[in-house]
Amino acid sequence: MKLLAATTRYYLVLNVLLFGMGSVALYHGINWALRTEVSEQLSIRRQELLNKARANELPPVAQLEALLIISRKPRPEGFRDTILPDNIEHEMVPHRVLTFPLMVRGEGPVWVTLQKSLVEAEDLVGVVLGVMLGALALLLGGMVMLNRWFAARLWAPFRNTLAALRSYDLQQHQPLKLATPAIAEFAELNQALTTLSQRLVEEYETLREFTANAAHETQTPLAIMQAQLEQLLQLPVLAEDPAAAPLVADLYGATLRLSRLHQALSLLSKIENRQFAQAVPVRLDQLLEEKVAQFEPLFEARELRYGIDVTTEPIIQVMHPGLADSLLQNLLQNAVKHNVRGGEVAIKLSPQGLRISNTGPAVQGDPARFFERFRKHNAASESPGLGLSIVQQICGYYGFGVEYTVSKGGTRHTLRIVWKPSMPVSAQKAEAQPLAMHQ
Amino acid sequence: MKILLVEDEPALRTTLLGSLKQAGYLVEAAADFAQAQEKIMLYQYDCVLLDLTLPDGSGLDLLRALKASNSAAGVLIITARDALDDKITGFDLGADDYLIKPFHLSELNARVRAIIRRRQFQGQQQIVFRDLTVLPDLAEVQVRGAALALTRKEYDLLLYLLANPGRVLTKEAIAEHLCGDTVDAADSFDFIYTHLKNLRKKLQEKGADNYIRTMYGVGYKLSTE
Repeated sequence: MKLLAATTRYYLVLNVLLFGMGSVALYHGINWALRTEVSEQLSIRRQELLNKARANELPPVAQLEALLIISRKPRPEGFRDTILPDNIEHEMVPHRVLTFPLMVRGEGPVWVTLQKSLVEAEDLVGVVLGVMLGALALLLGGMVMLNRWFAARLWAPFRNTLAALRSYDLQQHQPLKLATPAIAEFAELNQALTTLSQRLVEEYETLREFTANAAHETQTPLAIMQAQLEQLLQLPVLAEDPAAAPLVADLYGATLRLSRLHQALSLLSKIENRQFAQAVPVRLDQLLEEKVAQFEPLFEARELRYGIDVTTEPIIQVMHPGLADSLLQNLLQNAVKHNVRGGEVAIKLSPQGLRISNTGPAVQGDPARFFERFRKHNAASESPGLGLSIVQQICGYYGFGVEYTVSKGGTRHTLRIVWKPSMPVSAQKAEAQPLAMHQ
Repeated sequence: MKILLVEDEPALRTTLLGSLKQAGYLVEAAADFAQAQEKIMLYQYDCVLLDLTLPDGSGLDLLRALKASNSAAGVLIITARDALDDKITGFDLGADDYLIKPFHLSELNARVRAIIRRRQFQGQQQIVFRDLTVLPDLAEVQVRGAALALTRKEYDLLLYLLANPGRVLTKEAIAEHLCGDTVDAADSFDFIYTHLKNLRKKLQEKGADNYIRTMYGVGYKLSTE
């Protein structure tokens, strides 16, 4: 609900409530005042008649009957409300009626009934209520109009700010540029936001530089370690002790692992910092073929049979070429690493997505957790377990849908990537078919 | 064969210098942009190993200067910066090859050798090692004049060994050389072992000496003795 709509709603509720109560009170008040007035008029008339009777100035009853409603039999005394036909308007009209006994000299008591129409009073109440309701309608209408006007005019700076925030992209390394509106609250808001964005840009820059520097600064000592260990291995003195060379070789291997870990982590942080803004159309079908060719020795070494099913049309995704490479690299690596000797890898690339399914050792647990960092199937594995995290990050970066499923028994692992996740995965499943395997 | 090494990191420079000298090259080193620029202007090199990030300038500018002076030197870019943009710019400017730090020294040797071979002899050349002759352009291997049929990987493996005679080659370096960076080393050692075994067998069948030595727990070595 919009702020204005919310406040308007409360105003309206309050107004309707107060007005309803006021209308009821007014109706009863006016009614009461008018009836009292009519009753008073009737009482005055009675007093006049009684005074005349006491002074013996009244005409005989026969004459009075032409002017007043007179009964010779007793009738209930006092005020009453009743409905009587109106002679002029020919309809039933409410009346106030006063009946009292009157002693007419020489003729004994008679009961006089005085009556007065209340139709004027009702008309008056109607007019008053009409005016009040009209005023309410105008007030409410006016409030809605005023709020619309507020929304359009007074809130314009707020909406501009909102639009600027929505389209804000930290990647452009520009702080927000917001105007200073006349309304103090909005001016303050804009100022606060501008300051915030400046700080963000600075922090982002620092972080970016940090990542770049950390990558560079870490890579250099690693490069030195690796180069010097390799030179150390060349020393003839190592040959004198058969235990020495393997020690250095292990150290060398560990340095390589550290270096790989470093590369994977800095890649992850670069993706998170969205430092891969550059995007070109990448022929994924060609890239996949290149990658599979590179992996062939590994397939061979682990005696894996593999099948590739690529549609004949070119499959193009607009993405950073380095990330496209890394995506396929990590997917294939995952399929090889978590496989069994003599197993299978089936790859299907289509305009809808990419599916890599492979045999593997039975695994426990939720496959969604395989995407977690440093997650390993085998704790003793030399791999740091970042491959699928990288896959997930890249997919998230480009809005691809990614899903890891393990079939019953846990020996068939399937990783499915959908370029446009709006398309249900079940539609992909329907078209999937067994692939021909070749050695 | 003269090589210029442009590298600002002293420890790495020393190590690279040592390794290249061991491989039989005449190597000069430059620690920064200014030194490198001076040397490029004064001398002719067969190959320049270029670090892109120097304290007082960009290696890409040195590359531009080299190309502007019509230098015949091959250029191998070595850098920690794995940005794809630099790589593309480097190739656009005429660099011959690209190595990302950290790299294997044996890989560097192989790359340098390939560059110099391509530059100096326009590819017309043969590699002779003891009783072995390789014609890289024809991808042909002869043992005492008799042709030896090798698979692609066995041939690559042999060339890699020949690029590093007398050097201990780690399993990791061989794996990376043969499979690119696809390998998470450990996965591929079996595969190297298989190929080496086959290569040795084929060489022995042709009567070649057994000069591929296994260095236990480390890797392999093409023995020059």
